[in-house]
Amino acid sequence: MNIQYKKGVLELCVLSLLKKHDCYGYEISEFLSKHIDIADGTVYPILRKLRSEGLLTTYMQEESGGPPRKYYSLTSLGRESYEKERAEYLDFAKRVEILLEGDNHDTK
Amino acid sequence: MTRNEFLQKLADELRKNNITDIEEIISEYEQHFAFKMADGFSEEEIAAKLGNPAEISSQYESAGEDQGGEGRKAAATIGLFCIDIFAGAFFVLLMAWEVIMAAFSVCNAVVAICLIGGKSPWSLIPPMPRFPAVVLGFSLAALFVLSAIGGVYFAAFIRQLMRSYGRFHQNTMAAATGRAVLPSLGIYPRLPAKINRRLRTVALVSAVLFTTCFVLGMIISMIMSGNLEFWHAWGWFGYK
Repeated sequence: MNIQYKKGVLELCVLSLLKKHDCYGYEISEFLSKHIDIADGTVYPILRKLRSEGLLTTYMQEESGGPPRKYYSLTSLGRESYEKERAEYLDFAKRVEILLEGDNHDTK
Repeated sequence: MTRNEFLQKLADELRKNNITDIEEIISEYEQHFAFKMADGFSEEEIAAKLGNPAEISSQYESAGEDQGGEGRKAAATIGLFCIDIFAGAFFVLLMAWEVIMAAFSVCNAVVAICLIGGKSPWSLIPPMPRFPAVVLGFSLAALFVLSAIGGVYFAAFIRQLMRSYGRFHQNTMAAATGRAVLPSLGIYPRLPAKINRRLRTVALVSAVLFTTCFVLGMIISMIMSGNLEFWHAWGWFGYK
């Protein structure tokens, strides 16, 4: 699938994951590549973009036996924007589905 | 591609694309390698799964200040300055109106006290019998409450308008310099629901009280003076 096409949706997926709990970068990358077929490297630019837009903040946390990890956390602006975009996406997806399903019936 | 080759190539590409904070970005990928290697993947496998460094680098947006950023910032500053002058004058006007409303409110209170108390400092209150004076005094007292509430609400409105404008100002600068834009603020004040309800009740009661007492005062005056134009009968405004 087209990467530009996926990118916007991936942002939504990242926000959705972070809404549940704070994560470090690798955790997010693993989670997404488990569900969606993307190159592992795609996630980090998205995280950086979301942070520069003020939707995410980061903090460092010490882990037992390892270097400190950079955790990502949703800001209140991020939460607000997620709820809005989620509703918009779901509505959009539903409409597209109706359209494409309708096409399917016509050809049969 | 090995770990070091990948990181080196990525850093070169990022530098070529004018991206800031390259160390921070690279450290994310270093961590990625560390985690994956702990899971038993080889460096080559990890690098292949990450994707092409040039492609990754192109997904980072340069912070926006490389081309035309300064010009946009200057244009936004000049534009905002012009709007500020206009908006500033507007706010001065609104505040002047607030002062007038406050003065009107205070005048109502003073006249109401004089009428009810039967005082006429420097003979400023026109002469009239005690009874209609008290009724009219009550109507002015109600008008004082009504105008005071209006003044308070208007003050809250000006404050919210200025805050909303401040947020617009901030966001315009933020958009021009590529910083995060905050949600805009509404222009109507949001008083707590309880206070809102009370203010509305008091305003309604005082409006009714004002109208009733005023009309009643007029009628009583007309009856007591035996003249529809009672102000002539009592010699107000210099008429005899």
